[in-house]
Amino acid sequence: MLVPAYVREFEPYIPSKPDQELMKLYGCERLYRLNNNENPLGPPPGAQEVIRRFSPSKGSVYPSGDSYYLRREIAALHNIDPDQILVGNGANEVITFVIKAFCEKGDNIITADKTFAVYEWVATFSGIEARVVPLVEERFDDREMLRKMDANTKIVFICNPNNPTGTYWSQEVLINFLDAVGGNRIVVIDEAYFEFVEAGDFPNGVTLLADYPNVVVFRTFSKMYGLAALRIGYLMGDINVVDMIRRTCVVYSVNALAQEAARAALRDDTNHIQRTRDLVGKSKEFLREELAGMNLSVIANEGNYIIIKLPGSDTLAYRKLMYEGIMIRPMTGFRYPNHIRVTLAQMEAMEAFIAALKKILKT
Amino acid sequence: MNTDNMRTLTLGISASEHYLPVVTSFVESAAMVFGLKKEEYLRLSLATEEIFIYLCNFVCPGKLLDVECFNGFYYTRVLFRFSATEMNLSGLNIASNISYERDSDLEAMGLSIASRSIDYLNVIVEKNNRICLTVTKEKVYPAHQEKLPAPLIAENLFTEVPDAEMLKCLAILTAQYYFLPYRPSFFTYPGKLVDMVSGGEYSAIVAKNRKKEIVGGILFCYRTEKIVQCFGPYCFCREQEKAISAALLDACIGRIARTRALGLLSLWGLPESLQNNFEALGTLRYHEEGKTPMDEVSFYRLLHEDPGFEVWSSGGITDYLRREYRRLALARDVRTIRDMGETRLGTSLFSAEVYRDQLTVTLRPLLAGDDYAANVDRHIRFLRKENFRNIYFELDLGVSWHAELMDVLTANHFKPGIILPFAGKSDLLIFQYYDETES
Repeated sequence: MLVPAYVREFEPYIPSKPDQELMKLYGCERLYRLNNNENPLGPPPGAQEVIRRFSPSKGSVYPSGDSYYLRREIAALHNIDPDQILVGNGANEVITFVIKAFCEKGDNIITADKTFAVYEWVATFSGIEARVVPLVEERFDDREMLRKMDANTKIVFICNPNNPTGTYWSQEVLINFLDAVGGNRIVVIDEAYFEFVEAGDFPNGVTLLADYPNVVVFRTFSKMYGLAALRIGYLMGDINVVDMIRRTCVVYSVNALAQEAARAALRDDTNHIQRTRDLVGKSKEFLREELAGMNLSVIANEGNYIIIKLPGSDTLAYRKLMYEGIMIRPMTGFRYPNHIRVTLAQMEAMEAFIAALKKILKT
Repeated sequence: MNTDNMRTLTLGISASEHYLPVVTSFVESAAMVFGLKKEEYLRLSLATEEIFIYLCNFVCPGKLLDVECFNGFYYTRVLFRFSATEMNLSGLNIASNISYERDSDLEAMGLSIASRSIDYLNVIVEKNNRICLTVTKEKVYPAHQEKLPAPLIAENLFTEVPDAEMLKCLAILTAQYYFLPYRPSFFTYPGKLVDMVSGGEYSAIVAKNRKKEIVGGILFCYRTEKIVQCFGPYCFCREQEKAISAALLDACIGRIARTRALGLLSLWGLPESLQNNFEALGTLRYHEEGKTPMDEVSFYRLLHEDPGFEVWSSGGITDYLRREYRRLALARDVRTIRDMGETRLGTSLFSAEVYRDQLTVTLRPLLAGDDYAANVDRHIRFLRKENFRNIYFELDLGVSWHAELMDVLTANHFKPGIILPFAGKSDLLIFQYYDETES
């Protein structure tokens, strides 16, 4: 058999159809996308301007193969060396880089059962064992993760704050964990939602790189910076670790427009982050209140999303809400059956969602 | 070679009666090594003999075929694989020898007689136009009669994957608390349950209390490529049924949520407390010898977003499909096939998945033809004569020519029962035969 069993057995992810197709299929005139934690404000104004003014003639020119200028700007922002940074075609690509760089047959990675699925997926279809540790009270279980490690454990993935629960490890928990792990394994701290967190004890993984050279930090431009369509994310780590990861990195995978827009996003001076946080905060409060009135329990912590426990099937709720022009994320695939995750977006969308939810729960 | 991993043994041979002793010796030896007792492997050998002779004479005379013996732990399966090119495939219809005109010809032979000595028979079309005909004989296991003490508490519930001894306890407790037909018969045989799980086709999860007593369990397996069927959850601490069932269902979904499974199906005995977690697909009627027929609601839940797609229909079934899809909130573009006078050639082929002990047959169209009405009629007459009481016909709504059979089926006393989302190329529509002579 030409195809390895771990590839044959893997079910490819089926992305949802384009919005126009979905609207036709479900017979709705508008569609609120509340399934992917996108920023309804879009990119910061400077990045929007870059996108508007991108010259068509640049379409024929290869981009910088290693995101040269962007890495310099990120490095300046975090006060690290540009060679400590690798930019990828979305954070998903940098996950793949790291697993390829450190894992081989017989190795394993450790993560949580109810977290971003891509760590587990990439490991599984690469023939690497993914050991998933159940969350405890919706949080990563540090002690059990340590217990699950063995000589073949190469990478530990921590999603901080966790998608979808929004829980996080404080600076103290994280440092204790890193001390317990020691330096022989890579610890990835995925900070895709870093910019949304307002809690005072939330750790900035980048500040740990000097003391813990086995730490690799992920960030993305898809969430807070509203550049999901351009696919751009990056990792940061010790210069020697990144040098190893770079060997598995496919150059030229990040397009020129994404690089330029990302640079403009970092230079934002319009308070984009605070404006987004304000919108998310307001929407979160609105949903909390409305859902409490409907006797529905929620898991709402950090991040621009909220989990709602429904009295029935989440995948059925997804379909019924689609007929109402609302797209949410059913959570069975995250191992949260009967839960849905909703992006905290503009108030108009939140009001439409609540009205639709009330309607479908009545029927 | 690691013999412990040798679960399939293969014999390549020409379809010539001259080789019959080789084939039967091979099957007998393999089945014996795989653990079948003498009476069981002789029955499997008898079925093999019938099929091999039938293939030699009517289906693929002189052609190369592979005979495989598969060790399923609780069964041995013989697979006959051969190329379908230029062969008399209509001979693989289980009712192929039945004259359409004369009832007096209802004399079974070939596949039908083979089906009498084994537990399961099926025909499928594989990749590269290969046909695979399978016969299966299960091992006979001792039934367990003793009773286990009832667990009294369900505090500090946790779930885990059971080992062999725990599986035996699960079987005993399930048989103790749930009577037939409210649970599958295999729970009567603890050893069989262990082999079903060891063989890799079934998975189990048990719920335990703080004393580490088993208070419930669930069993699940892939029914189709993308659909997992669950049995249970079963609870042995009735006052805590809701909590135990919920914990077991969550654990089951946790195990399959990130696999190739797209849906979870419960055909029997879903606890009432969990029915809100599922969608009622519809009702199928089950007959057992000497008992009143039972109508059972089938429950289902998708595990992911439904992407929506087109399905094919014809005649009166179109309204049924539109109504059902609306009820199930499944976005489907129901398209109707049209007969524009095009020529249809050849004889159709239906596979028959036969579970003789359950009096159950599921028919599926494998090859299109110009003889649907005659072929359906022939199958019904034959299957009724053979005393099959549960006759289903499964159409894949993603395959346009399957829709040509819809009107034929309704004209032959089949009624649509349930739609199984994602169970085939797209959704499957299961028709059930209703014998008009029964009340």
